[in-house]
Amino acid sequence: MESLIANLGIGFGVALSLANLLYCLLGVLLGTLIGVLPGIGPVATIAMLLPVTFTLPPVSALIMLAGIYYGAQYGGSTTAILVNLPGESSSVVTCLDGYQMARQGRAGAALGIAALGSFFAGCCATVIIALFAPPLAEVALKFGPAEYFSLMVLGLIAAVVLAHGSVVKAVAMVIFGLLLGLVGTDVNSGVARFNFGISELSDGIGFVSVAMGVFGFAEIIGNLEQKEQREIFTKKVTGLLPTWQDIKDATPSILRGTTLGSALGILPGGGALLASFAAYTLEKKASKNSANFGKGAIQGVAAPESANNAGAQTSFIPLLTLGIPSNPVMALMIGAMMIQGIAPGPQVMTERPQLFWGMIASMWVGNLMLVVLNLPLIGMWIKLLTVPYRVLYPSILLFCCIGVYSISNAPFDVMQTAIFGVVGYVFVKLECEPAPLILGFILGPLMEENLRRAMLLSRGDPVVFFTRPISLTMLVIAAFLLTIVVLPAVRKKREEAFVEA
Amino acid sequence: MKITNGKDFWAGLMFMGFGLGFVVVSQDYAMGTAVRMGPAYFPTVLGAMLVVLGAIVFFRAFVSKVHEPIHVFPFRWIPAAVGLILGVIAYYTQATRQSGIAWEIGHMILSGISVVLLFAAFGPRSLWIVLAGVVMFGYLLKPIGLVLATFVLIFVSAAGGHEFKWKEVSFLSVLLAIFSVYAFVKGLGLPMNIWPDFLE
Repeated sequence: MESLIANLGIGFGVALSLANLLYCLLGVLLGTLIGVLPGIGPVATIAMLLPVTFTLPPVSALIMLAGIYYGAQYGGSTTAILVNLPGESSSVVTCLDGYQMARQGRAGAALGIAALGSFFAGCCATVIIALFAPPLAEVALKFGPAEYFSLMVLGLIAAVVLAHGSVVKAVAMVIFGLLLGLVGTDVNSGVARFNFGISELSDGIGFVSVAMGVFGFAEIIGNLEQKEQREIFTKKVTGLLPTWQDIKDATPSILRGTTLGSALGILPGGGALLASFAAYTLEKKASKNSANFGKGAIQGVAAPESANNAGAQTSFIPLLTLGIPSNPVMALMIGAMMIQGIAPGPQVMTERPQLFWGMIASMWVGNLMLVVLNLPLIGMWIKLLTVPYRVLYPSILLFCCIGVYSISNAPFDVMQTAIFGVVGYVFVKLECEPAPLILGFILGPLMEENLRRAMLLSRGDPVVFFTRPISLTMLVIAAFLLTIVVLPAVRKKREEAFVEA
Repeated sequence: MKITNGKDFWAGLMFMGFGLGFVVVSQDYAMGTAVRMGPAYFPTVLGAMLVVLGAIVFFRAFVSKVHEPIHVFPFRWIPAAVGLILGVIAYYTQATRQSGIAWEIGHMILSGISVVLLFAAFGPRSLWIVLAGVVMFGYLLKPIGLVLATFVLIFVSAAGGHEFKWKEVSFLSVLLAIFSVYAFVKGLGLPMNIWPDFLE
């Protein structure tokens, strides 16, 4: 306990330095600014803003990115409530009751309770990370290459199972991502693989290009394909503070949402999306008058909003302790860490306590900033929503292009991003989820490396993955998860769950 | 045999194609053994898995109960074919150290056109116009500087939208050019030309 306080002390020392406070604030502001734009979720927002952070020192860069994440998440909920357009799948459920509340003229209360619920959840999740990350990192330090390989298999499988849509396609996307990740120079032999004589590809495909193309550009093109039609409740937003009755109604939901969200966020493949869906379903079951849900029940906003924020934050645990991303946002964070020259994994905590604890402390600071900022600034975000898309998208494109170009001052990177924009568009049209692809892309080289090492240590005997207990456990869980989703009965239930919510 | 699910049909073909591609290209590298894996080992295994999964998706397209049309998105043969031919020419005429600046610029324009044509083969009008703007920005930024490249990107990409208003787009370009010069070049200190080379 004492060490916890000491550690958090280090963390707050870092997070509360003037420069880092400023970057956190900038991140939260930028994140909300972009996240509020309809049709742009946290993944696209982070992908677009990644290059901005590259010039900063590592701690500040990660603090800013985390800020962007919370900001984007919150901005997404704002759009969901006011425009009925979910920025990302995790705010789909917020639309259900939030938009109805807005139609009844209670948009202010919905936005207020979403902010307060998120803040409470953020506080709890920060404590949970501080408590659970160190022991988990200690366990992870004992992992050998075999355990790491199996852990990655489990992480990827779990991500597939929890994504919606076809499982076979999702597994195929993971493998496709792993293969794309292998492009470039092979570390062991020094051979440049799959570069087709193009010298720019010998360092591998740019991670920012893939993320920005598949999530950002493809999103813009998709939006342009449909005619825009929005109904925005801009005039009716008054009284941002919820009434006492609202708070009384919402408190149990916030508690339940936070607990559920924190638990689900830790799971590989979990995070904000699953958390918000599960919380909404739980709330509907727990409520005495479930008939109100979908008609503007404040619980239907409070629970998923708390849950997705809690889940968003606890999904940092596998990232910080194991170095394994559990969802695409965390994959982007790992990418950012690698570009900063930090090898993600359990050693981060012991070797760079400033970074580790600074980031955790900044999460709390970031959440506080969100509440303080958003209650007064909401008017500005609403104004932003009235800016027509035909003005917004060229501006977004420009910032993306400058960002990608600035990574290595190479026109090739910009072209590569455009190509992945087309690829992303094709994926959307073919109903292939891009999230598993980006996870695979990040894990490709890591997985190959650990597979090689494990096989070298076992002298080529693949049985090693099944004789080491931790490795075996993870593979069994992975196999179990994969079999149950393929079972017809479960498959039907799973489809229902995603359709219903 | 009738294709019921067009999306699965194309997705299956895509996965099989990419998987096969990776397996074939891998054969140029050393395979190694299970103990000491060469650079070809992991990609060959993964590529083979992708082919198998692609085949499953492909065959599902014929038995699926979900009905999706075979035309999933617009596809145009002519730009695809011309783009591909130009791309192959560009690939074999890459500039070397001996070739002059004219060759280099010519090659850049050729590969640019081939990429844009390949974009134009897919999807809606907005897709290729917007992405053409992006590619142009990338290649023009160094020779013509940030301000003019911004104008190119904004005008071209705005042309890909539903409506195009001259006044609005001009105003937006000026505003964004000023903003990006001050925010990115002066503020963040990114090493970019503001004006064309010969003016600086």
